[in-house]
Amino acid sequence: MSKTIIDVQNISKIFKITKRKTGFKGALANIFHPEHEYKKAVNDISFNIKEGEMVGFIGPNGAGKSTTVKMLSGILYPDSGNINISGYIPHKQRKEYVANIGVVFGQKSQISWDLSPLDSYEVIKHIYKIPDKKYKENIERFTELLDMRKFINQPVRQLSLGQRMRADIAAALLHSPKIVFFDEPTIGIDVVGKEKIRSFIKTLNKTDNITMIFTTHDMQDIEKTCERLIIIDDGKKLYDGSLDAIKSNYVSSRIIEAEFEQLPEKIDIPYVTVSDVDKNRMKKVITFDTGKTSINSLMSTLLNNYSIKDISVKEPEIDAIISDIYQGKIIVH
Amino acid sequence: MKDIVSLFFAYAKSGIKTRFQYKLDSVVSSFAVFFREAAGIIAMYFALLKFDTINNWNINELMFLFSLIFITYGIFIVFFMALRDFSDWIKHGDIDRVMVRPRGILTQLVLCGADWLASLGHGTLGITLFILSANNVGVEWNAATILYYVISIASGVLIQGAVFLFFSAISIYFIETQSLKEIMYWNLRKFAGYPISIYNKFIQSLLIFVVPFAFVNYFPAQFLLRKPDMSTYPEWFMYISPFVGIILYIIAYFFWKFSMRYYKSTGN
Amino acid sequence: MSTYIQFAAIKFRNNMAYRFEYIMGILNTVLSFLVYWCIYKALYGGANEIDGITFSMVTTNFIISLGLTNAFSKNEMFLQDKIKQGTIANELLKPVNFKFRMLFEDLGDGFFKVVFNFLPAVIIAMLFTEMMPPAGIFGFVLCLVSAVLGYIVLWYISFIVQTLAFWLFNVWGLITIKNVIVNIFSGALLPLWFMPQPVLNIIKFTPFDSIFFTPVQLYLGQLQGYEILLNFGRQVLWIAILYFIGELLWNKGIKRLIVQGG
Repeated sequence: MSKTIIDVQNISKIFKITKRKTGFKGALANIFHPEHEYKKAVNDISFNIKEGEMVGFIGPNGAGKSTTVKMLSGILYPDSGNINISGYIPHKQRKEYVANIGVVFGQKSQISWDLSPLDSYEVIKHIYKIPDKKYKENIERFTELLDMRKFINQPVRQLSLGQRMRADIAAALLHSPKIVFFDEPTIGIDVVGKEKIRSFIKTLNKTDNITMIFTTHDMQDIEKTCERLIIIDDGKKLYDGSLDAIKSNYVSSRIIEAEFEQLPEKIDIPYVTVSDVDKNRMKKVITFDTGKTSINSLMSTLLNNYSIKDISVKEPEIDAIISDIYQGKIIVH
Repeated sequence: MKDIVSLFFAYAKSGIKTRFQYKLDSVVSSFAVFFREAAGIIAMYFALLKFDTINNWNINELMFLFSLIFITYGIFIVFFMALRDFSDWIKHGDIDRVMVRPRGILTQLVLCGADWLASLGHGTLGITLFILSANNVGVEWNAATILYYVISIASGVLIQGAVFLFFSAISIYFIETQSLKEIMYWNLRKFAGYPISIYNKFIQSLLIFVVPFAFVNYFPAQFLLRKPDMSTYPEWFMYISPFVGIILYIIAYFFWKFSMRYYKSTGN
Repeated sequence: MSTYIQFAAIKFRNNMAYRFEYIMGILNTVLSFLVYWCIYKALYGGANEIDGITFSMVTTNFIISLGLTNAFSKNEMFLQDKIKQGTIANELLKPVNFKFRMLFEDLGDGFFKVVFNFLPAVIIAMLFTEMMPPAGIFGFVLCLVSAVLGYIVLWYISFIVQTLAFWLFNVWGLITIKNVIVNIFSGALLPLWFMPQPVLNIIKFTPFDSIFFTPVQLYLGQLQGYEILLNFGRQVLWIAILYFIGELLWNKGIKRLIVQGG
């Protein structure tokens, strides 16, 4: 059993927001009598993360996930609660602490537009005081793993978005951090590029035992990389657990897709709804509730009573589940 | 200290490498900066053909006065560019990147950005003016005067650094500071180029006590040139530039620290 | 025509949106005038006139050239930005004349600056300086007309340098150099009365003095009879020449753009 590396207890963050008034009088009022309102961006969140874990943070825009990550990385300090990461208090021991972490901002590159990735790495080497030997080893290794040999000497402006992101990820890892934060690492990248990035992240997590925290909008990122998921909405932690557990515990409706050889006049099975798939009228989607009907009995009813060409059980769509959670249709705890 | 120097050179190397990607443009742009700043002096040169002196300062003395502003700015911009453009750093969240690196925030800002084009333009102009005027202004260059001159340059860099450190801290509270920047960056520096005795009391006080550009060039130049208009100011103003620089920088530094703490509590 | 007025109006309204910037803009305008006023006050050193030029004439020269500079505070990187972003091709497909659109947007910006920046700044400046009254209604009208012509000369000089963006990576440097030349030779930095004769002999063959100095002279009533016609003639001639060069460069640039596929 590995030990806890990130320990977050009851952190909250309240932002003061200045109300903007319009008009000339309003503009004067804004200067002399600004009115404020308070917003709890993060509201009493606690969690532990163990060494080598890979955790996905998700939540709608403005849910508080980026505020949480900023507090974890020492950029913001919490108004209340405690953060202890690997023995450091991030906002108090910023310099010592951040030597142990890497941050990948998906929207903000840390490598210069007009230089090659290698040129930028040279500067990063000096910032983090990386010893020559380790620097060479890491460059060699990441070039290989991230498939960067082709473009490591090319100006960044000539690279594709996916290549640039790979170069950026390598930049955040050069100093061999113990913990890495990924903030939307696949945003705007094509499917192949995303796949490359995900598989690299997964490999690194396994081989180097690096603890990783992900924020993303893309559920595929989470599904393909993270075992654990923390859902944040409205400043509160809604869910903390595995992705599979959400699927099996909280989603009771399932879908079977069936393609008929001969279209029956009517499909009449209790507790089941049937709908068409697009234009292909031979294909039907059958939705049912696992609390009322079991998969086995439904399958045998279908296969025994109708002539069926093809049949498959669909996993519930994760995007749909998450959106149900945000909307309160599924209550998790 | 050694690794601070090597970090500076690492940044400088990448900055210069970037400029080398666009060689012709870099040359033209540097020259443009040189020429833009020289314009006021060219106009002054023509004007003095007719008027001879301005408040008893002749063209050589004026060029000497100007050289201090340009040389100090040329050095200043190697170290403080990030502070000049700090409101953009805040606006685009680039400061977050700096904060997740294991170096002092101000250390990184001071070392990371050099506006090499501006530095080259201002620096070359300053040195040109110095060479043209240094031997025609009646200054006897000996160990003492040279030392005084070098200290004045260092003080001038520090004073401008302090002013911009202060100004950058303000942009943490007010995101939109473009106009303020223009006033500080363009107009006040434009005022500071000339002997401040030509202005009314209000502008003089502004340049002595509020944004003390007068200690960057006017008072140091007065120590070396001893023009009659110095009689309106206390004698000791000619000796305190280094202290003005150091004290102002310390005050600005603490204000900056305080503002950074505010940033850490409010974000953007 | 109404479309183009619309472009100008939008620019005008955008400027109205930022009040703090606006107040600072006035302050900036006053300050940049104040520098020159102080310099020339010191140069005159209490003397009433130098070579028949009084201090209030110098003040007037700076106020008028400041007004025109204000009217001409445009974004000169506009064309380069459009080319760099690759949006120029789309712009050209729209059923409006791109150059007219540029001109009218600049006029909108300029009109705002003159009414809301320059006029308040002049009123503030009047509190501590003495600006000469115009040489009669006739002189004032002539000044306005030649100021408009001066604006067009200035606009076309800028347009020509901007079109170089079709060929060059970055025109910022050239625009800056152009502005220095315009500022020195037009009298914005140094009233042309004080310019040494050899330099004036060169300026005579350039369009620069017809930008600010012709309006200033008309305002002060320094030009008489055929001189007025001559100066208007020079302005119109320069507009024609600059227009021709501008068209030539523009068409060549567009052709180059199409060959390269935008």
